Amino acid sequence: MTLRRQRSQTPARDRALAIGIRLIAVLVLIWPGAAAAQDNALPVVLISRQLAESEGLTVGSVIRLATDASGTRAREFKIGGIYEPTPDPSRLGQVPRSVRLHLPDLLDMTRPVDIPAGAEYIASVNVALVNRDDAQQFAKDVNARLPGVVALPAGEAAGSAGPFRVLERFHLAIAVVTIVAATVFLLALTIMLVDERRETVGVLRLIGLPVRRILVQILLEGLMVAGVGAVFGLVLALLSEQIINQFFQWRYDTALVFVRVTRDVALTCVSIAVPLGASATVVASWALLRRGALRLAKR
Amino acid sequence: MTALGFAWRSLVRQPARAALGILGVAAVGALLFDMLMLSRGLIVSMQDLLDRGGWDVRVSAGDLPGSGLRVAHALETAEAISTLPSVQAALVIRSASVEIDRASGVPLRASFQGVATRSTNPAGSRLRAPWTILRGRDAEASDEIVIDQHIASEFKLEPGGVLTIRASCVGDLEALPATQLRVVGVAEFPFQTTESTTGATLDALKMACGGNVGHDADLILVTSKGDADGTAAAIRAQHPDVRAATNNEVVGRLQQTGFTYFRQISSVLTTVTVSFAVLLITVLLTVSVNQRLGEIAALRALGFSRLRVVKDVLSESALIVGIGGLLSLPLGLLLASGLDRILKGMPGIPVALHFFVFETAALGVHVALLVATAVIAALYPMRIVSRLPIAATLRDEVIG
Repeated sequence: MTLRRQRSQTPARDRALAIGIRLIAVLVLIWPGAAAAQDNALPVVLISRQLAESEGLTVGSVIRLATDASGTRAREFKIGGIYEPTPDPSRLGQVPRSVRLHLPDLLDMTRPVDIPAGAEYIASVNVALVNRDDAQQFAKDVNARLPGVVALPAGEAAGSAGPFRVLERFHLAIAVVTIVAATVFLLALTIMLVDERRETVGVLRLIGLPVRRILVQILLEGLMVAGVGAVFGLVLALLSEQIINQFFQWRYDTALVFVRVTRDVALTCVSIAVPLGASATVVASWALLRRGALRLAKR
Repeated sequence: MTALGFAWRSLVRQPARAALGILGVAAVGALLFDMLMLSRGLIVSMQDLLDRGGWDVRVSAGDLPGSGLRVAHALETAEAISTLPSVQAALVIRSASVEIDRASGVPLRASFQGVATRSTNPAGSRLRAPWTILRGRDAEASDEIVIDQHIASEFKLEPGGVLTIRASCVGDLEALPATQLRVVGVAEFPFQTTESTTGATLDALKMACGGNVGHDADLILVTSKGDADGTAAAIRAQHPDVRAATNNEVVGRLQQTGFTYFRQISSVLTTVTVSFAVLLITVLLTVSVNQRLGEIAALRALGFSRLRVVKDVLSESALIVGIGGLLSLPLGLLLASGLDRILKGMPGIPVALHFFVFETAALGVHVALLVATAVIAALYPMRIVSRLPIAATLRDEVIG
């Protein structure tokens, strides 16, 4: 459950947020040497792994943070830990150089001079309910009782799924084109393979096997070949899953997973590939089986 | 008969398999062509969109224009920028949300851009809005507004009509009184997303906002006298607290962030597509050659040289890939328009921005990749025919 003040925040809040962003993203002034005893009294912050790597910071380092480039109202903090930021697909390509402060420390730094302590604005409040199923009703109650505040169940508060739904549709379209191309190639191949066995089929017809029996045999063969092909494809997908993920995770310096071969994905692939392969074999064979047995068997 | 003619006859003799092979190459080629257009499409399209307006430096408070941060004391800043010797004009843009009242039903939400030009240069003072007037004229007085085509058709408004808006200039909860503005033109807004857009002077926006806009602006657009890089540097020196970026720099920053995903996905899919094509054409040619081993051995026995039969196979590959490749161009363009429509469904994407853009360079790479595919795919079957034992093959053929 997330409570958000509507976009009606005053300029002071906007300013505070903006400063907060700058503080997190831009300004880290390193203070290399400080006495150990003095360090213990300093407020503790967490920094992202990417920031630690880019600035050569370690746990225990003392840093100075300020809200502007000139270092006005700068304060010292001690790095209490280095964290791996939660992967955020909507910020792909942006290296998360960020600092996590305790809220009172952040407010102390960002509070405009004309705002008294305790009257600052915050962006959102996350609420954990005893019963998660009450989220919708709780949001309704809060919205009714607190004008100016918007409460949303966490699922709806995410709000940034739009681009990913579009990407999903895009990938689906690409998959459809790939399947069409593969089907055409498959048909060409099966026509050639069936043609290669023309004489065998002709002999089978001559010794009395009905067309239906031969078709069943071809279908079974097609199923087996398509099955083996599908399994091979899945193994290839699993191998490329690792390679693609490792490449993109390295490229974007993120822990995001880009490709995941799930059970459902694997089942979908098999359920498309096997019937498609088997039907291509039968369709290609059908044209051949319509010819007379003597014509098929002749050299 | 030349090798190409021979290969053509070989294909025509098996029309079904040849047609399917060519169709397969066309489908794969179309996908490949699209991926090549996608790899730089957004960059080319964005650059075009930025350059089209004629403003070559963008001044904002954040790293990228439109980051949500606002330039403080925008009019004074623009005034100072316009005094720089390399600057022709500066244009301040402030945006607000508006609801356009309907006679009945839910109001239409739209964005409202208020602009003000600053220039000490006589040529610059003529530069006005960052939109293109389609009908009527630009808004000049504080009670005038220009609207986009969507609003014009939705409200059946033309120049001369009146629009009633309720502006939200700082937040959604403002309850500002309705303002009536006279529609003087219908315009095209270059960065317009799916949301409707209106434009007017900064004074008109201030009036609609009841004066509640402060001194901040979302963006200052600058037209230089030719040296965009020098102008951006001069602005940065004059105002260290703002970010001044040329159009190339803006595109460069976008390249490093959001746009990179499409370049990467295009590289991956290009690799997969080409590998797929090579594999399948190799299999097609190999099976085809294996079926004709006796025929090829007979040709060798009749006096066809080893090089000649190798050329036949290569020509067959070239014909399948060549005809398929030609068909892939119109197919690819058709597919690209469909995929472009899907991707433009992303929120916040300007209507005029395209993900797939045709470039001669992309066509060149497409042709080069197809040529490489034809050659690589033919390597194994060429090896088979070049090492074919003539006597043994003919004997097998007779006995078999």
